[in-house]
Amino acid sequence: MKNGLTIAGVVLLAVLVSVTAFAEGEKDSSDDGYLVIFSQANNAEPYRAAQNDSFKELWGAYPDVTFEITDAQQDNSRQISQIETAIIKQPNLLIVAPNERGPLSEIMGKAKNSGIPVICLERDIVDANNYTTWIMSDNYSIGKLAGEYMVELLIKKNGEPKGKIVDLRGLLGVEGEQKRFNGAWDVFKQYSGITQEAEAVAGWLQSDGRIRMTEILRAHPEIDIVYGHNDPMAVGGYLAAKDLGRENDMLFIGVDGLQGEAGGIKKVIDGVLSATFTYPLCTDKAVEIGNKIMRDSDFVPEKVYEVQSMMVTPENAAELYK
Amino acid sequence: MRDVSFSIERGEVCALIGENGAGKSTVGKIIAGIYRPDHGQLVFEDESLFSYTPLEAQSRGISLILQELDLFPSLSIAMNIVINNIHFKYLEKGLIRPRIINREVKPWLEKVGINLDPSIPVEALSMAQVQLVAIARVLSMNTRLIIMDEPTSSLTDDAVANLFDLIAELKHDGVTIIFVSHKMNEIFRIADSIVVMRDGCFIGKMLARDTDHDEVIEMMVGRLLSGKERQQSWKTNDFILSVDNLSTLRIKDVSFNLYAGEVLGVAGLVGAGRSELGEALFGMDKKIHGHVTLDGTLVDVRSPGGAIRHGFGLIPEDRKIQGLMMQLSVKENMILSRLDQLNKYGFLVNWKIQESVNELVESIKIKTSSIDAIVDTLSGGNQQKVLVSRWLMVDPNVLFLDDPTRGVDVGAKEDIYEIITSLASKGKGIIFVSSELPELLRCSDRILVMSEGNVVKILNTEETTQKEIMFYATRVLQ
Amino acid sequence: MLNNLEKNRLPLIFDMMASRMKKFQSFTGLLLIIIMAIILSPRQHGTGRVLFLTPENISDIFRQVSENGIIAIGMTFIILTSGIDLSVGSVLALAATFCAKLLTQWDPSIGQPVHIFLAIFLPLVVTTSFGTLYGLVISKLKVQPFIVTLAGMIGLRGFARFLTNNANLDIGFGDDVSSVFADLVSPKPVVISTFIVIAVIMSVLLSRTVYGLRVKSIGDNLIGARYAGLPVTKVLLITYALSGFLTGIAGILHAAQNHQGSPNDGISYELDAIAAVVIGGTKMTGGKGSIIGTIIGVFIMGILTNTFRLKGVDINVEMMAKAVIIVIAVWLQMPRQHKSKG
Repeated sequence: MKNGLTIAGVVLLAVLVSVTAFAEGEKDSSDDGYLVIFSQANNAEPYRAAQNDSFKELWGAYPDVTFEITDAQQDNSRQISQIETAIIKQPNLLIVAPNERGPLSEIMGKAKNSGIPVICLERDIVDANNYTTWIMSDNYSIGKLAGEYMVELLIKKNGEPKGKIVDLRGLLGVEGEQKRFNGAWDVFKQYSGITQEAEAVAGWLQSDGRIRMTEILRAHPEIDIVYGHNDPMAVGGYLAAKDLGRENDMLFIGVDGLQGEAGGIKKVIDGVLSATFTYPLCTDKAVEIGNKIMRDSDFVPEKVYEVQSMMVTPENAAELYK
Repeated sequence: MRDVSFSIERGEVCALIGENGAGKSTVGKIIAGIYRPDHGQLVFEDESLFSYTPLEAQSRGISLILQELDLFPSLSIAMNIVINNIHFKYLEKGLIRPRIINREVKPWLEKVGINLDPSIPVEALSMAQVQLVAIARVLSMNTRLIIMDEPTSSLTDDAVANLFDLIAELKHDGVTIIFVSHKMNEIFRIADSIVVMRDGCFIGKMLARDTDHDEVIEMMVGRLLSGKERQQSWKTNDFILSVDNLSTLRIKDVSFNLYAGEVLGVAGLVGAGRSELGEALFGMDKKIHGHVTLDGTLVDVRSPGGAIRHGFGLIPEDRKIQGLMMQLSVKENMILSRLDQLNKYGFLVNWKIQESVNELVESIKIKTSSIDAIVDTLSGGNQQKVLVSRWLMVDPNVLFLDDPTRGVDVGAKEDIYEIITSLASKGKGIIFVSSELPELLRCSDRILVMSEGNVVKILNTEETTQKEIMFYATRVLQ
Repeated sequence: MLNNLEKNRLPLIFDMMASRMKKFQSFTGLLLIIIMAIILSPRQHGTGRVLFLTPENISDIFRQVSENGIIAIGMTFIILTSGIDLSVGSVLALAATFCAKLLTQWDPSIGQPVHIFLAIFLPLVVTTSFGTLYGLVISKLKVQPFIVTLAGMIGLRGFARFLTNNANLDIGFGDDVSSVFADLVSPKPVVISTFIVIAVIMSVLLSRTVYGLRVKSIGDNLIGARYAGLPVTKVLLITYALSGFLTGIAGILHAAQNHQGSPNDGISYELDAIAAVVIGGTKMTGGKGSIIGTIIGVFIMGILTNTFRLKGVDINVEMMAKAVIIVIAVWLQMPRQHKSKG
């Protein structure tokens, strides 16, 4: 029994030591430098992982800035308590990617009232007074952009704005998902020839996109465009079509346009997707505005900055790929 | 069960007797409202009842104490008495207040002779004490008819005596008792009347003073039992097992020898360390010190698997919990401990299994529709035989049988005695634990008496009596 | 005379059928689901054939149930020991991401065949080791399987995300070693035959071997198994290792088919596997069950999903229907009250 306890103790110690070793990369905040804390809603999504990486790289260029990330793991109360802790640390800048509009509103106001400049990233919150500035990109306009491009593609393919669309959708009820859908369909609605052939919920995942698309392909012999509300689902749809030898009968459009091997831009280069529309990480803008707020006491930020989406097509993909 | 009719007077102790499967438990459960009869009626205190729930039965003063006492092990004695008890309904309202509950149940505990703190959890009690708690619970409900289903099956003799005193007292208070049992001597000690059942039928009711053992047994089995005399002895003078100063946390400095062909009986009250002795030899309990010599070689057994390899077998006391896999078939249960011999490259060799299983099923007369029948569908006696035959398959040199006749009917008991004798005749060493002294006297060559984890005395069967065994079993060593 | 004979025989045949049905109630369930699928299925465009019954769709179903089927087979063994493995979803994600990482971010310069072999083999070693670790903790330290594998579910999900730094790793879109791997492992015949081979082997393992009997015995009565001298520790170790290994295989297939190692895949796969196992008649308390039952359970779920999706039924309706099916299937298989013994 004694032995068991000793072993358990040693194991626990080893775990703690190695965990702290991993965390050691972060510098202690010194008095003369700046502390920036980023409260991320959920690390475990490729888009947000890319956001984190981009932030680390961008802030890394400023040696006097200490940058910390907390991960709320898609949980409102966890994010609230993490922001509470952040307030105690009194950072020079707090960037929050709120998990949801309502629940995070109050705590962000608290941070702002304690004198910390608060940048609200991507999603907004209920009370606009509770952040210093909101840096965002609009999913509705992305959907609209995508819709307009798809109409062009249909005209090219069928000679007129006519065709059958399949929507591969993320988790229903998520605001961004709804906007990407509405944006595109508000465009399609103007043309009576464009109809929805089928839609399926694939939960943002490539694997579910593939499985759901297989059945759609079996039941629907004619499809012109598969609109994946993110790139992985569009790629999943492509894989299913390829499996049946039908990948050339239809076009695949994605959204997100992330960098990297698994990102949408690479998929456009590889000819898997016909186009993708970037959902900007907003990190460049956040670092730019954040720096101004911290370093220039006279600077008054605007209430909202909108970062524009970019259309990635085979023509410009290679150029954009990093 | 069909067409059972009898009547009982107030304050009468009526024994309901029959072999396993005779339907006596069913009668008890119908009276207590657990099962519903297809037809017929029940008249209790001049009121005619047909179909009712156990709760309704309780509110009328009819209660059943099951063989497997269905108390909540982790709750306290007091809570077990109070919970779902119509008489203590008011205690369950609102917050649970242990102090008040403990105070309220105290008189009932005193009535059954328990002088324990009511806040002790039931799992910490001995079987006998649990039984008394169950009775206290029933009494607290103003019960006027108690059905006890084999209340003595796991009690030692002194606990049984205790229980009988209590029953006599209850009877004096005007409580009627139906006593389901198949232990003849107990019935004659306590019952006023005897109802005999066989194969779901009512055979007869008579007054205890007008009948005797042989008549009742005859009515039960429909035939006369023979061979009450001592079994033949096959004892030799060769040691097969010697145990020297063996100690675990629960047994102390146990030493004895076992001879080839000998049946060594083990007697003792509950908690005397009988089962624990078996577990120590079988490598289930950690040895503190001592030596075990099997067949002339010193062995260090650390697991049941190791014990089996050394030629030692143990048939545990509780066949449902420690013994059988109730959802598996007769065949699968029988071969479990012999799998090392019945496989080829890890695959079961079916023809070999069929052959050896069929042979055993026939030779020890297991009544089953097929060897692929699920063990759960067999009667208690036949289940016990399946467990015994698992070990006959292993064919160990020393076999420890921990109360193998508990809860089995008379016929199956005889079969088990026969198996024991036949093993002894083949030169095996048998250690035979039993709570029934006549059984020990009949089967063993010597009787080892235990008390509080110690061996008190080893008696020669031919020269001893029940009284002497009891004397040693109740002696407390300092 | 003949007439008489027929009269006597008919009830006998019904009796036999009834008892057969009882034994394979899940099989009856499968038949009902298939009939339902045929009725509900849309027609194929042009040919007018019942879409559900087309060979393409049937093979789609086989392919789609393969991953869950392989996991559920391992789960069957674990549930038979009266255990549970909640970590299979995370283990699948770990195997898939580790495999993808080995293919895309590792350049061992040992030649393509060896590289691919290692990219399959090493993840299996890892998942099997974690299974063994569970078995060790469960049997030696006596921590409940639910808790041990819950810890595994959380920890290994974290490990998978840690491996890829939360990103997805795509494979097989270029013409490097990873596409050779994907072309090799992802074709339908490969996936389906892997599933079938595993099903046959595991079915034999459960019903015909010493190990299989020991698994059932331990699940039926752990204390009894100790008294019977069974090597309980060893059997539990093997069982959890086996589940880890099989889930690893499912993970490799997952990576190849989706051309991706995603650390976020496999969420709630444990529930799909458990559902298939219980629909197949395996008792959650252990001791009783079969591989064929589990496979039937896997197909019941798979066909239901397929039918609803061919029909374009709302995913929320699909989930509600599945819930009903699970409860009905398990209820049907509960033993009816026996005649009372006394």
